[in-house]
Amino acid sequence: MATGRTVPAMDPGGPNSETKRSSSDVSANRRRWKANIPLLLMFIPGVLFYIIFKYLPIGGLMIAFKDYNFADGVFGSPWVGLDNFETIFRQPQTFNVIRNTVVLSFLNVFVGFPFPILLAVMLNEVRRSWYKRFIQTVVYLPHFFSWVIIGGFVVTLFSVESGTINNWVEAITGQPYPFLFEEGSWISIYVGSGIWKEMGFSAIIYLAALTAIDPSLYESASLDGASKFRQIWHITIPGISSTIIIMFILSMGRLMEVGFDHVYVLQNSIVSGVAEVISTFMYRVGLQGGQFSLSAAMGMFESLIGFILVLAANAVARRFGKGLW
Amino acid sequence: MKSTRGEKIFYFVNSFILLLLGITCLFPLINTIALSLSDLQPIASGRVTFYPIGWNTDAFSMLFGGTRIIPAFWNSVVITVVGVIFSMSVTIMTAYPLSRRIFFGRRFFTLAMVFTMLFSGGLIPTYLVVKSLGLVNSYFAIWLPALVSTYNLLVMRTFFENIPDEIDDAARIDGCTEWTYLQKVVIPLSMPAIATLTLFYAVGFWNAFMNVLIYINETSKYNLTVLVQNMIQSQSLLQEIVSTGEQVQVVPESLKAAGVLVMVIPMLVVYPFLQKYFVKGVMLGSIKG
Repeated sequence: MATGRTVPAMDPGGPNSETKRSSSDVSANRRRWKANIPLLLMFIPGVLFYIIFKYLPIGGLMIAFKDYNFADGVFGSPWVGLDNFETIFRQPQTFNVIRNTVVLSFLNVFVGFPFPILLAVMLNEVRRSWYKRFIQTVVYLPHFFSWVIIGGFVVTLFSVESGTINNWVEAITGQPYPFLFEEGSWISIYVGSGIWKEMGFSAIIYLAALTAIDPSLYESASLDGASKFRQIWHITIPGISSTIIIMFILSMGRLMEVGFDHVYVLQNSIVSGVAEVISTFMYRVGLQGGQFSLSAAMGMFESLIGFILVLAANAVARRFGKGLW
Repeated sequence: MKSTRGEKIFYFVNSFILLLLGITCLFPLINTIALSLSDLQPIASGRVTFYPIGWNTDAFSMLFGGTRIIPAFWNSVVITVVGVIFSMSVTIMTAYPLSRRIFFGRRFFTLAMVFTMLFSGGLIPTYLVVKSLGLVNSYFAIWLPALVSTYNLLVMRTFFENIPDEIDDAARIDGCTEWTYLQKVVIPLSMPAIATLTLFYAVGFWNAFMNVLIYINETSKYNLTVLVQNMIQSQSLLQEIVSTGEQVQVVPESLKAAGVLVMVIPMLVVYPFLQKYFVKGVMLGSIKG
């Protein structure tokens, strides 16, 4: 095995393309091939999965350039070039869906970003460890709820007839407010529920970074008379700044992503002007309405923009020496 | 070190804000429990907030007697248990070769898999693939498209790679084959990562929603998430359930709340025991980044 180790990684076509080699090389290669057989065998199911459920659909994106119908299938349907993409940008309805996707995901990423940092810094300043553990347990919990559960919570709390929040609003203003049926408040609830669900769990990564800060820094700062806020500003935040940068770049990759479940459970027809996004459009118009090509084109647009954003984010990250690849 | 007065105030305010935050996280749950157990009158007049007013378990008896929630619960269990077994087996079997330096095309395969995290065909082409395989209306449409999560795969591979080479060398000298080495050495040494990923997959399958909505047509095959979502969203369905109950009277709010609770309770029961694994999982993933 020791000789197998020293052979550098090469693709399977590699060894045959070389013409000259010594006999020891050949036997080492044969041994390596033999050692690879069990590995290849156990690798088969995974490769099949990636081919069938990841790469076939990427190939299937060709229907975005076709006028797909069930009778002719993916290959038989006629090509239409960029017609579907033209339709997307010409129709106000589809253009609106793209705008909504961009607006909601931007709000999600940018408004939501500081909350886990703030939470981690605050948790870091708790002195009693049982209290810290208790708060952590509670704030991590919503991460594990499905969006259906959270949708149930939201509908119950904000309902006009008997929601608890609206009872409070009614007690103050004398009028219940249709939170889920006004565009502005719907967007706030959308963004807020996302923060509520993920704030605690996203804080874990920052809490880990905080443990690396040298406690003696705080002691000497405190002796020098630095207030708590100054300590946080000058020691804590710089101490986790590299983590903050990485997380920020990673979140760029999600800029075109609006999860289906999150929107679907909160949506209603009255606010569809701001609440219909690409993923729900693909479900409603694509799958239920049978407009496969049009919605596949939309999905492709979403994927492409997302892909470009990740590449761009990584290029920026490299400048900071923090590139992911 | 003695804290100054300013620091004492800071610590107090800090703990207080965190307490409020904790309450915010728990409040929807508490409110839901209260609603599911309250009498009709207090719910209708909106007096139920933190604790049940009156005591009424009719919502639960109606839920269990008048809806398909019990079969849906078992469907969720089947989806989760079988899905986790499939996913974990394939994830381990795929991650292990990728962690071996002698494996041909290791770099190529890793890149090809990571690429699918960055770019995907999306909903429509995936649906067409699942449909053409004849998987619609079968749970394989839930299990197979979600078989391997590339993120979990990379976490697993990184964990395998960190097993010391000395163990490997010793096992080879003893004549260990790849399969026995994986079973007898690698898997037992990787239990922390395996536990964490099992939980990640389990939460994913338990909360599965979109795939069930898309691929499962028969209502008898619905899992909890889709059934409860239908109850929450469709007012007419709720009215129908409520009006079929003859003796008992239940307000829709109470029934919705009970439905949500049936979905939450299993999660709450296991959550305290599993919390540390989840936290560990996030750390495992961050090593690579």
